[in-house]
Amino acid sequence: MELLLLLALLDGLAYAAQLFMVAVGLTLVFGVLKILNVAHGSLFAIGAYSASTLAALAGTPWLSLLALALAALAVGAIAGPSIERGLLARIYDKEQVLQLLLTFALFMILEDVQKLVWGVQPVFEDAPVRALGPVVVGGIVYTAYQLILLPGLAVVCLLFLVWFLRRTVTGRMILAVAHDREAAEAIGIDSRRIYLLAFTIGAGLAALGGALAAPTTSLVPGVGVQTIVLSFAVVATAGLGQIEGAAATALLVGLGRSFAVYFAPELEVVVPYLLMVIVLVLRPSGLFGGRELRRI
Amino acid sequence: MVGETRVSSPLLEARGLVLAFGGVRAADGIDLDVNEGEILAIIGPNGAGKTTFLNMVTGYLRPQAGSIRFRGREITGLTPRRIVRLGIARSFQIPQLFTEHTVLENLALQLAAREGFWAPFAPLLSRARSERALALLERFGLGELASVRADALDEGARKLVDVAMATALAPRLLLMDEPTSGVAASEKHAIMDRLVSALRREGVTAVFVEHDMEVVARHADRVAVWSNGKILAQGPPATVLADPAVHREVLGVEVAPC
Repeated sequence: MELLLLLALLDGLAYAAQLFMVAVGLTLVFGVLKILNVAHGSLFAIGAYSASTLAALAGTPWLSLLALALAALAVGAIAGPSIERGLLARIYDKEQVLQLLLTFALFMILEDVQKLVWGVQPVFEDAPVRALGPVVVGGIVYTAYQLILLPGLAVVCLLFLVWFLRRTVTGRMILAVAHDREAAEAIGIDSRRIYLLAFTIGAGLAALGGALAAPTTSLVPGVGVQTIVLSFAVVATAGLGQIEGAAATALLVGLGRSFAVYFAPELEVVVPYLLMVIVLVLRPSGLFGGRELRRI
Repeated sequence: MVGETRVSSPLLEARGLVLAFGGVRAADGIDLDVNEGEILAIIGPNGAGKTTFLNMVTGYLRPQAGSIRFRGREITGLTPRRIVRLGIARSFQIPQLFTEHTVLENLALQLAAREGFWAPFAPLLSRARSERALALLERFGLGELASVRADALDEGARKLVDVAMATALAPRLLLMDEPTSGVAASEKHAIMDRLVSALRREGVTAVFVEHDMEVVARHADRVAVWSNGKILAQGPPATVLADPAVHREVLGVEVAPC
């Protein structure tokens, strides 16, 4: 019983870490651009597939770890700007329905692109996990990759984002544009660049989430759908645009799901959504949302 | 036009501005010069097109006809950000402060925005920037508010901070939409005194929209009266405000001017 509890805890932490990185990208993009990017799930999937391919090519286990980071960086740096400049920049002043449809269409297209490039057979490459080897905690043999690397990176990611957004010039400009685009323009901030930057960071986080998830799971078509739906649940539960909130909620959802896996397996799939429904019924703007209601 | 005084070639020249929203002509042939160094008040009833004029000058609205020249350069149709960079700043009827930042951070952000964008990891409150921001605040007598969050300010202070922020851009021309609206009547003059003296000290030319005739009479060098998208009269406050036609239009009553 105690072993099961510990196992559920460790699984939950590892899962929460992955979830956070994808969800925080989604919430950042929404907070700044005010667009819910459905194709965020595709960026996760493409990041994951590219990471698997690159890790398999890397040769040594340690290089395969580096390959994950490279894959995420490349997908973020290429897909981010091209989607933002090529598609989203044309529809900022259009209705939200159109924005949602456009990112949904992009999502559908990218789903097929994945099948064209990587096929429909499961892709699995765990060299990066093997590189770090196992660790033993309380009698349980666990992978260092999931126990240390994933949660560690998630924490680094959170701290970096909070520092970047609150303390640096560029970060404050992002917050200013998120808060009020017109006012930010009035003081001379170039909101087009801010949109580009925020979207690229968001895309990079999705790809990083995918790249880090890749070595722990078999990649199959549909992995993007699962991700976007779950991260949306996290983001909505936390309150749209909330960064620390996304972290806390990812933890809640991650742990909730892993405890369900061990103690009430039939509830595994519904737990995140159950949490979301309960929270949104009680607090429609999310656990951490609603501060902007003060604005005129 | 009543007794127009022309000092030198105008800083801002608006010619034949037309802008209609549906059937409403918010600008119906606006011709206006703003001269270097002057403080010009715009008065007129609600819906006369005063804010529309500010929005056209600052690039938020594009006139359907006419031209706006700033320091001899055509600026009609440029984006707000380009226009800000050319030296026209504005403050808003509702101050557009970033409420979750402190006053100092608001100013620092304004200064940083001017410096450019690609300093991704530079701290916002670097020593040099903090000092400059604080100096700006002190010019408006706002030094003690530096570390107060913008959403905790009272209305008068918000207005002053908003204008201080606009002057952080070192503008040649500052446009203010009702700098004293929402401020208690007893404080209006005190706030305008601080505003106007700071602006004159900085040599900033200013245009402000105002409803309070006493404020106009006391602080403006020149007044332009808006009515149905047209300029009804312009000139020194003493002359214009004494004009019965202006009185009728602005106050909506037939009374002899006092």
